Amino acid sequence: MVKEIERAGIPVVHICTVTPISMTVGANRIVPAIAIPHPLGNPALSMEEEKVIRRKIVETSLQALETEVDKQTIFEVKY
Amino acid sequence: MNLKLELGYIKISDIQFSNESKVENGVLYVNPEDIINLVKEDENIASCAVDIARPGESIRITPVKDVIEPRVKVEGPGEIFPGVIGKVNRVGEGRTHVLKGAAVVTTGRIVGFQEGIIDMVGEGAKYTPFSQTLNLVLTMEPVDGLRPHEHEKALRFAGLKTAVFLGELGRNVEPDEIETFETLNVKEGIEKYPDLPRVAYVQMLQSQGLMHDTYVYGVDAKRTLSTIIMPTEIMDGAILSGNCVSSTDKNTTYHHLNNPVIHDLFKAHGKTLNFAGMIITNENVYLADKERSSDWASKLCQYLGVDGAIVSQEGFGNPDTDLIMNAKKIETVGVKTVIITDEYAGRDGRSQSLADADPLANAVVTGGNANMVIHLPKLDKVIGHINFVDTIAGGFDGSLHEDGTIECEVQIITGATNELGFSKLSAR
Repeated sequence: MVKEIERAGIPVVHICTVTPISMTVGANRIVPAIAIPHPLGNPALSMEEEKVIRRKIVETSLQALETEVDKQTIFEVKY
Repeated sequence: MNLKLELGYIKISDIQFSNESKVENGVLYVNPEDIINLVKEDENIASCAVDIARPGESIRITPVKDVIEPRVKVEGPGEIFPGVIGKVNRVGEGRTHVLKGAAVVTTGRIVGFQEGIIDMVGEGAKYTPFSQTLNLVLTMEPVDGLRPHEHEKALRFAGLKTAVFLGELGRNVEPDEIETFETLNVKEGIEKYPDLPRVAYVQMLQSQGLMHDTYVYGVDAKRTLSTIIMPTEIMDGAILSGNCVSSTDKNTTYHHLNNPVIHDLFKAHGKTLNFAGMIITNENVYLADKERSSDWASKLCQYLGVDGAIVSQEGFGNPDTDLIMNAKKIETVGVKTVIITDEYAGRDGRSQSLADADPLANAVVTGGNANMVIHLPKLDKVIGHINFVDTIAGGFDGSLHEDGTIECEVQIITGATNELGFSKLSAR
């Protein structure tokens, strides 16, 4: 899906836990997620703490979308 | 001093119900009341029915959770399933008796959506090794309101306790055959076989949580670091399955006890290779865990100084990444690898087989394509519940036809594409 949307001319950020698979399948902008059963959250945290990490993932992704890349790039989230 | 384990095989030719539970002249007699009383010690289990399923009988067992071989420790330290049923103590030495040909199968209302089917006859029987065992089948239902994890645990313990109870019946029976497995320490192995290539076995254990779990001496494998274990410890039940999921390529407890990679490495040991050691590593859901565990698996291979390693996977999907990381990192420290996996290549077999890949993973043994479609006949008797066939993995809406026949992917069958090679699929 990532590749098809990009083929249509729209940049894509792939948020995913297993970034090596994202690299293998050819995503250009990759943001690491938390874990496979809960990619965008963490049930071990309080609601307030969870909101902070969720916002960071989204903000990192938006920054990635605005960033020019010349090769496959992983944008680490700064927690 | 070397580690030596003797397995004494008591060949079981039939299972029959009786007033007294015993093993006599190769027949396993079971008083079902003994089993029901044992299982119902756990107040989380509301009901337990006991059935016998023999090879060739028109019986379908589903949804299957675990399969366990009855064993008993008769000499040497420890007990079967140490840290779980037996006390925590080193196992893997002395003598263990095995009721060869018999198995305990657990079923009952579904816990996880990837539980399997065992057919004792017909097309489905070709794909599961447990169509060839004499099965004592426990159909257990939990008390109302039991959460899935507690439900899984209650059934897991009931199966293990039953297997230990049956194994105990073979304690004083003279085995028909004895097989000896000896593990040399690193120094002696090198001195004794200086010219043979040294090969390690790296076993990956399912540990994704959400009922994809494995236990090592009672420890949840997802909380472990990669470590070294003696292959004979596994024959005494050091590793057991907590998986309710992925019937086709999970390792049931029976698979662990009879791991064919270990048995084949022992057969080749001292002839074509030196079986230098065994490493276990997990398959967790955090990327950092995957990196750490594969780092440690490769580091242990490097430290043992082996020439080659066989890496077996359990399950599919994101564990493909753990598999590829292991292969890549072990190759990078100068150790040749062969990986054992299975494939999800689509019903026509034309899709990419694994979710991840790397040029260093260049030697692969496959358990087969789990997406292959098969057709199962109606069988006379169902043990368990037939109504989950559409919802367990490999089934789909309409899998179960009104006439009782089933159209499904082969992954619905327990053990069909097992990644230890404990299966019957072949391209020949």
